[in-house]
Amino acid sequence: MTTGIIAIAVAITISISTIGPALGMGKVGSSAMESMSRQPEVMGELRTNMILALAFMEALTIYGLVIAFMLLGKM
Amino acid sequence: MIEKLYAIGMNDAMITSSVLTIIICIFAIIAGRNLQLMPSGLQNVVEMGVEKLHGFFENLMGKYLCDRYFPVVGTLFIWILCCNYSGLLPLMGKAHGMQAPTSNINFPLGMAIVVLLLLQVIGIREHGGLKAYKRLVSPFFFMLPLMLIDDLAKPLSLTFRLYGNTFGDEEVVHIFGELCPIGLPVLMQFLVVLFALIQALVFSLLTAIYIGEVCEGAPALELAHHKLD
Repeated sequence: MTTGIIAIAVAITISISTIGPALGMGKVGSSAMESMSRQPEVMGELRTNMILALAFMEALTIYGLVIAFMLLGKM
Repeated sequence: MIEKLYAIGMNDAMITSSVLTIIICIFAIIAGRNLQLMPSGLQNVVEMGVEKLHGFFENLMGKYLCDRYFPVVGTLFIWILCCNYSGLLPLMGKAHGMQAPTSNINFPLGMAIVVLLLLQVIGIREHGGLKAYKRLVSPFFFMLPLMLIDDLAKPLSLTFRLYGNTFGDEEVVHIFGELCPIGLPVLMQFLVVLFALIQALVFSLLTAIYIGEVCEGAPALELAHHKLD
């Protein structure tokens, strides 16, 4: 019974913590592409900043992943 | 041999990282042994890589800070890149004494703590005393707890980002390998090659940005900016 509930909790944790950052990353990626095509001469700078922004968002997913692994360890 | 190392308390990640350190050291010694003014061969390749890296960080941190602290961030980048790529070798994580160091949480945690301590040292050195901690209370005093939490969360997020990514990639490759051993893991490994590079870049990039943040308003930095204008 408990393991079943933990399994469901793991699935919900990782899926919800993926949805938010995925939406944000999509927005960052699309607007970075747009700016790059509009102003190709600042491409290098834009790419660095884009990777940085993506890394910050990705950290949120990773927190979810770590919690999911911790829950898996309790099963 | 490996049993002896286990007996003194070393684990797989430590053994792999020690071997990697030795390999990188030997490579660096060979590349820098016979320096010429007109580089050729190996020296040329290594110099090109280092120059590219230097240019990248110079754009980010400015000339003064980059000249002073490029050794730290450059070393972090090369080291994490080698550790991440070592996870692509066959039998990694399965055989004794072989595990990608970054997929063990203690390894990124150690590096993040070193970065945290280094930031304090750099801040005090650049500002010349405890003036470095003025930024914690800079707009008004109530910011102090917020800034402290922000500072302490930095190593934590550095750790989990690197560990979670490497460990997650490794797990996904393993699971794909169990699902369909032929073809499918290779597709994922192409992605892993990319992610490993990005994670190494992100760790050193964030360290560089934190260094820039800590040194903001330092007298020497202001002077360097002034000279530039």
